[in-house]
Amino acid sequence: MSKKRHENQPARSDEPSKAEKTQPAKKRAKPKRPAGEVPWHPAVRVILSVLVILHVTAVFVAPWALSTKPALPPGFVGPLDANGQPQMIPNNHPAWQMPVVPQTLHKAFSHYLNLAYLNHGYEFFAPDPSGTHVIDYQVTQPDGTVVEGRFPDLEQQWPRLLYHRHMMLAEQTQRMGLESGQHYADHLARLHGGPCRLELSVHLLLSPADVLEGKEIDDPKTYQFIASVESQSENQAAETIAIPGGTQ
Amino acid sequence: MGIFGDIRSYLGEAWEVWNRFWFKPTDPATLSLIRVLAGALLFYTHLVWTFDLQAFIGPEGWLPVEYLRNHLQVTEQLDGTLTPIWSVWSVFFWIEQPWAVWCVHILALVVFFCLMVGQFSRISSVLGFLLAVSYAQRVSPGAFWGLDKVNCMMALYLMLGPCGARYSLDRLWRLRRGDTSEAPASATANLAIRLLQMQLCIIYLFSGLAKMQGENWQAGTAVWWAVANFEYQSIDMTWLAGYPALVALATHVTVFWESFYIALIWNRFMLPITLWIAVAVHGGIALFMGMITFGLAMIFANLSFVSPSTVRRWVDPLADRVALKLSGDG
Repeated sequence: MSKKRHENQPARSDEPSKAEKTQPAKKRAKPKRPAGEVPWHPAVRVILSVLVILHVTAVFVAPWALSTKPALPPGFVGPLDANGQPQMIPNNHPAWQMPVVPQTLHKAFSHYLNLAYLNHGYEFFAPDPSGTHVIDYQVTQPDGTVVEGRFPDLEQQWPRLLYHRHMMLAEQTQRMGLESGQHYADHLARLHGGPCRLELSVHLLLSPADVLEGKEIDDPKTYQFIASVESQSENQAAETIAIPGGTQ
Repeated sequence: MGIFGDIRSYLGEAWEVWNRFWFKPTDPATLSLIRVLAGALLFYTHLVWTFDLQAFIGPEGWLPVEYLRNHLQVTEQLDGTLTPIWSVWSVFFWIEQPWAVWCVHILALVVFFCLMVGQFSRISSVLGFLLAVSYAQRVSPGAFWGLDKVNCMMALYLMLGPCGARYSLDRLWRLRRGDTSEAPASATANLAIRLLQMQLCIIYLFSGLAKMQGENWQAGTAVWWAVANFEYQSIDMTWLAGYPALVALATHVTVFWESFYIALIWNRFMLPITLWIAVAVHGGIALFMGMITFGLAMIFANLSFVSPSTVRRWVDPLADRVALKLSGDG
């Protein structure tokens, strides 16, 4: 059979089968569809077309709405503080111009997008690549031994995909708030049976000039402390003890 | 013919082209190949959860389900209260016992394996999508990333067409029963592939647009900051520090390729170039930045632009050999 035939072969052969030949003419009245012809009744195609348009619109709207942000009018100057410096404009200030179309469409499609797990952006190292976050932990077990660990850590988390999942845990702490770090501490405290202390750091990136000077990209000096979280027991909520320079 | 006749003629032609684009029956070879590859990736992705299942997926893991549902996956009501979003769903939101999590996990692995080998393809593709979304929603936010988005996207469209028509145990059993007819051309196979292509275009468009807003992407240095990231690095590429022009070229090519993928990929002369750049970009991410699974997922999704005849030319000889081995005739 030729390749052409494979590609365009209709749903059923054009040759009537033996059984079909013995059927009364009335039952064979429906003509067979030629190879490559668009199937289905036009009404079905219209309905499907509407569904396709709605779906593709929804897929488009999710990253569109997530990538558009409210803006202030050109040249807008907000209220000044005592030193004559412009103050932060509050989110509910009437001057903010909202991206009405993507937001409205996103609201309309949000449940459909959630159900199909399509409700997200696709930024992939945008707008700019940045340093990753790292969590170091210490758990003191009832017998006094101390369990130490870090995530992500290639030596502790294997295979690579599991390492990457741990990297995301540390990374997404930034977006979820430090409360998520407290849940990590609670989890580790339950796991090892003792109080746990977490330290969140950011791993700063070195420039090409730094690397050419001989600096190592995993130099301990490139890790900058952000915050620490402590959990006292598995039943007691963890508490934050320090957030110098914390981003949340 | 007046203006109304011209408009009617234009609309008629547009409707014909639209119908051919979305609904013309096509050989399900491309969809079947994507099923094999995406099925393997889904199986591996979820197999890896086995190493620390309760911590990531269990009810009392890194982020307990109760916290996730009541604090992170919430929507604000008119009175200011926060309520869980009903449409964000996962079977793991309703499972409280660790043994039940394991039962679902083992079922999921069986389903993804069936999807990969093409056993009960129709059922396994539907169950595969529901399970893939369940895992992804359980770890969003928390431990999700681009791999989960692409996995769920491929699983979604595999459901729509006859993904087990070729390169599957389903087909092998049909052959053994004496049904030697060719896999029929299918309109739903075309629809599934077209939807996958469209979403891929949208992904690249917004990824390109987002990068255009980044100062380092504009300056041509972003690739350096990506490869200089120790936590991502799988092969040391810091030797690029001495070749800023190469870094700039790679950065600019990435931005322009992503931004214009949506236009270039439909041109038959640009199609192979655009696809090979996809292989280079995602292959580079897989090799140098340790994201092997994500790199492969994106390459597999790009295969949706490979014609069924090309797929058959590449895959049929191998598939025939495997089929002969499995049927004991080889």
